[in-house]
Amino acid sequence: MRIILKVILAVYNFFVGDLVILIGVSLTMVILALIHSLDALAPLRGGSGAILIVGVLATLVATLGREVMRPKA
Amino acid sequence: MQWAIVIAAFLASAVEFVEAFTLVLVAGITVNWRSAIVGALAAVATLAVIIATLGVTLVTLVPLDVLRFVIGFLLLLFGLKWLKNAIQRYSGLKLLHDEEAIYATRVAEARARGEPVKTGLDTFGVLLSYKSVLLEGLEVAFIVISFGGSGPNGIGLAALGAAAAGVLVIGAGTLVQAPLQRIPENTLKFIVGIMLTTFGTFWSGESFGINWPFSDLFLLLLALIYLAASILLITAMKQLQSRTALATTSPKTTTLSQK
Repeated sequence: MRIILKVILAVYNFFVGDLVILIGVSLTMVILALIHSLDALAPLRGGSGAILIVGVLATLVATLGREVMRPKA
Repeated sequence: MQWAIVIAAFLASAVEFVEAFTLVLVAGITVNWRSAIVGALAAVATLAVIIATLGVTLVTLVPLDVLRFVIGFLLLLFGLKWLKNAIQRYSGLKLLHDEEAIYATRVAEARARGEPVKTGLDTFGVLLSYKSVLLEGLEVAFIVISFGGSGPNGIGLAALGAAAAGVLVIGAGTLVQAPLQRIPENTLKFIVGIMLTTFGTFWSGESFGINWPFSDLFLLLLALIYLAASILLITAMKQLQSRTALATTSPKTTTLSQK
């Protein structure tokens, strides 16, 4: 069990290492998937490129914001 | 008609080769050339196996959108991490990283201990090079099959156009890589962060069927958007840092002046 956790942690650290980035990018992808699969959200499809860029930038701002707010050791 | 196939395949493939070669160059300069070349060769071998096995049916069997999504998503994760670190360094939130000095120290330490210097494979470098060459290589294969299907001997002619584009891009890239090596490490990492985020956004967007304006040229515009946003963030964070520093030092200054 401990080895599996270690492997998961190593994979996570290699690919992301930052929970805010993982959540932000995943959330943006989920929103895009919903826009492109739900008919009710079809009017937003034209702006999905802008939504993706804004999502990426918001993720960057959020992760940097967390670093700024983090108390210094 | 035959020249039209060669030229069309050449132009379309050149764009894909430039995209793939850019990321191989990034891996080579920022990680090491061995990792970048191993990743690219592994991708070429995978492509050869896929093309030899599937042939023309490749177009219908390989889910290019799924591949674009996975690679785009991973590049966004990598890119944002690099960009975040670079912005933190430029704004003073993190110490500037002197890779050359660290490397020189490590080499000196290893030599002092009598150990061989490690210049081995790096997982990040191999993976970055591999996935970009695989994705773009598949796109080149799609171009060859699509353009080649429009005339007699079409596939051969389209492949000729694509091969010429590949030779030209790799040749030009080899000339470009030497001056790129002279760019300071932190600047290079900042540029790489922007590039990975740009490609990640572009490919993951394409996987959702987003038609970017001006097609592949939109990559340049995306890079400019991220560059402008990063510069704004660096400026804002620098101001925030100096305000915080002032707020922490001002009470002391007042008490000192009162004394």
